[in-house]
Amino acid sequence: MTTHTLLQLALRSAAVGYVSLLILLPLAAIAHQSFVGGIDHFIQDISTPQASSALALTLEAAIITTIINALFGTLSAIVLVRYEFPGRWFLNALVDLPFAIPTLVTGLMIAAIYGPTSILGLWLQQGGVTVLYNQPGIVLAMLFVTMPFTIRSLQPVLMELEREQEEAAFTLGASPWTTFWKVTVPSVLPGLLTGVFLTFVRALGEFGSIVIVAGNIPMKTQVASVYVYGEIESYNPQGATSVSVFILLISFLVLVLLERLTRPPGERMPRWFRWSNRPLAMIRPSEIG
Amino acid sequence: MIVSYLFPILLAWVAFSGSVMAGESKELTLAVYSVPKEAYERTIIPAFQRSWKQRTGQEVRIRTSYGASGAQARAIIGGFDADVAALSLEGDLDQIAKAGLISHDWRTGPHKGMVSASVVALGVREGNPKGIKVWEDLARPGVEVLYPNPKTSGGAMWDVIAIYGAGLKLAEQQAGAGKKPSAESAEIVAAGLLKGIQKNVKVMDKSGRESVTTFERGVGDVIVTYENELLPRIKSHRPYEIIVPNETVWIENPAALIDRHVDRHHVRDVAEAFVSFLHGEEAQAAFAELGFRPIGQPASQASTRTSLPLPNRLFTIADLGGWDTISAKLFGPRGAWTTIVEDLARGK
Amino acid sequence: MMRRLFIGSVWLYFALLLIGPILYLAVQSFDGGISAFWNEVTKPEALHGFTLTLEITAIVLVLNLVFGTITALVLVRQDFAGRTMLSGLIDLPFSVSPVIAGFMLILLFGPDTILGTFFGTLGVKVLFAMPAMVLATLFATFPFVVRELTPLLQTIGTDAEEAARTLGANEWQVFLKVTLPMLRWGFVYGATLTVARAIGEFGAVLVVSGNILMLTQTATLHIYQSYVDFNYVGANAVALTLLAVSFAILTLLEVAKAKAVTTVA
Repeated sequence: MTTHTLLQLALRSAAVGYVSLLILLPLAAIAHQSFVGGIDHFIQDISTPQASSALALTLEAAIITTIINALFGTLSAIVLVRYEFPGRWFLNALVDLPFAIPTLVTGLMIAAIYGPTSILGLWLQQGGVTVLYNQPGIVLAMLFVTMPFTIRSLQPVLMELEREQEEAAFTLGASPWTTFWKVTVPSVLPGLLTGVFLTFVRALGEFGSIVIVAGNIPMKTQVASVYVYGEIESYNPQGATSVSVFILLISFLVLVLLERLTRPPGERMPRWFRWSNRPLAMIRPSEIG
Repeated sequence: MIVSYLFPILLAWVAFSGSVMAGESKELTLAVYSVPKEAYERTIIPAFQRSWKQRTGQEVRIRTSYGASGAQARAIIGGFDADVAALSLEGDLDQIAKAGLISHDWRTGPHKGMVSASVVALGVREGNPKGIKVWEDLARPGVEVLYPNPKTSGGAMWDVIAIYGAGLKLAEQQAGAGKKPSAESAEIVAAGLLKGIQKNVKVMDKSGRESVTTFERGVGDVIVTYENELLPRIKSHRPYEIIVPNETVWIENPAALIDRHVDRHHVRDVAEAFVSFLHGEEAQAAFAELGFRPIGQPASQASTRTSLPLPNRLFTIADLGGWDTISAKLFGPRGAWTTIVEDLARGK
Repeated sequence: MMRRLFIGSVWLYFALLLIGPILYLAVQSFDGGISAFWNEVTKPEALHGFTLTLEITAIVLVLNLVFGTITALVLVRQDFAGRTMLSGLIDLPFSVSPVIAGFMLILLFGPDTILGTFFGTLGVKVLFAMPAMVLATLFATFPFVVRELTPLLQTIGTDAEEAARTLGANEWQVFLKVTLPMLRWGFVYGATLTVARAIGEFGAVLVVSGNILMLTQTATLHIYQSYVDFNYVGANAVALTLLAVSFAILTLLEVAKAKAVTTVA
């Protein structure tokens, strides 16, 4: 084997090893807790009325959040990269702040601004929209903490994207619309998909801000993470871990889908499928070594 | 290259930073629930350190951690090596004992191991705009009630137990003087009261403290919480009024040393001294400053040791059958409170 | 013009979601005046919190940069069985609620576990001490560097590196002189995000640190402590300080970017 291959293997082991220790091992511990009573118990744990309501509410809110953030995030990323305007540096610096703000503080800020005692909150209530201690509050908290994802995943890609490609399309006579769909979008697709899927996955796991703004009434405004917390605190770790594992499974499937979709064409199907379907002549030497 | 050197150095730094250098002085670690923090930090701990120094000439360094009672218990079970635990619920200490960390019977201490006491009370806005006087007022339509989630908050468990017990007392009253209601009919009345009140709850914070801060932010008309949570806030000129219902539960908070840890750290003498210090005059005065009631039988309240009103239909956990019984009856998977919450969600 | 509409909408989105709440925070922290703010931010507990947060962040940043880069390279450049699984695992920390993240560590390192007793005999305290806090933060921040680098690596491709190889450069030279410079912005973004996230880590650290005053109380834990002590000015002041630090780092990033652009031009 060449030095190149040896190096590749060494790097691969380092990566796999680190990820296994840091992520796989702890998650396995959780999974073990939840399946300790068998699969039946697991299914029972996630189908209790409170657990299933919490899961449904969480998924619903996460999907709404993802749609809103995908739209506004993409718009923001494009505006921030392509246009020059006063204050652009300010907005750019703000984008990452949601990561830095402890979720407790996020919750308090949202509660203060949109709460029943604030001007904005009262105004919205007049219009029939109760944000706090209601489902919109949950979406608002999720929006806040996931806001950076789409923007940040798109920005580096947009910046590296060679404008020459677009300009080339222009000089060849393509309309702005065609350029957008046939040149820009395919190039930024990996970044876009990453941002969108990460938003969803992150929204599923949010706890600290939601627990302050949601009201947490079981089967009404209680999300999965709050339900899990309640179960742990009342000495039902199995119920807690079962619901968590369920959320993790959904996240894992979503992330696997993301990984597949962001591969270059030709690598999107699983390996075993690819091998059997391609003529020998098309298999690259690097895939064999 | 650099990485391979950096790594073990980083590991070593991480592993050993924060580790205690054992010296001449002794070190005691306390796990306390969040409410009495001021009493401990400002008065009790410095006073104890002085008294210990006087008695033995030794310096004692005291590390403290304040957090929700249940969370502290879980942390101790999970390996947090506190030497003394002062918690809100006896149930939490029992869990620690169940895990094998406390091997002595902590209930054989003075006052059965309890160091502070209080009652469940109601807090309303200045002027009592909604005219809250008795428990049934909390079930009136249009009244917003606040208390935390019993699943995550020991304080909320006390609150719900108070409501339920009050309901039982009300059933007794309805039955008339000299006549006792049947257990089932009393429970129906109690569950009815609890349901009516739970219906008016729109926010359940995860701890008692957070519930009070929510109330402070202007949410809710009435908050159900410990009397000793409300009194200091009112003392700090918060615009609240406190109502102590006639029917309410007597709250007692225990403290005990953790045998396994004190033996490992060789601080049994300090720990024992600290726990008995908590029962002493100085500590009790510090608790009283914060709005706690003197420990001991509630009836002894008649003494001049407190100016706080004595509810005339006070009941204790023992009256309700003890912690395990009442918490299973209310908060278990088919418990009264659990069922009420699910019914309310389904619109029943 | 479409341009104005787009820029305006973006400003509105930011204002409603981000700027408004932060302004509120700023106003609240100065509720007692500048001296109150200063007292809160310089008292021993706060300073200890800042120092501890800084320590943890530094360790986490180094580890994440190293392993994040390796993982990104492996994910994008190599195709092997299990690659999809690896990729799926990397972002899972985002969806793990902090309660569970803390709970996981207790399950792994608790007093009656293999790892727990192993480290116990070595005399190393993992839980309720620095190592667990670092692990919890490491877990939460791992995806950032990897995720900033992967789309970049996918877009860039291997052409430049292969060209360098054919010209005779060895692996190390290729990495240092060709790969790293191309990934520069991915690193910078990834590092920035890691730092920001590490500063703000709260839930999991609350569970595994023991919240011991002046020992294991990070800046965010101190904020929580202040809040439940009814010290709102203190909580907001420290929170604002953390935000200001993050914002400063982010602004520096913007300045660096602007300089880079003008240098190229």
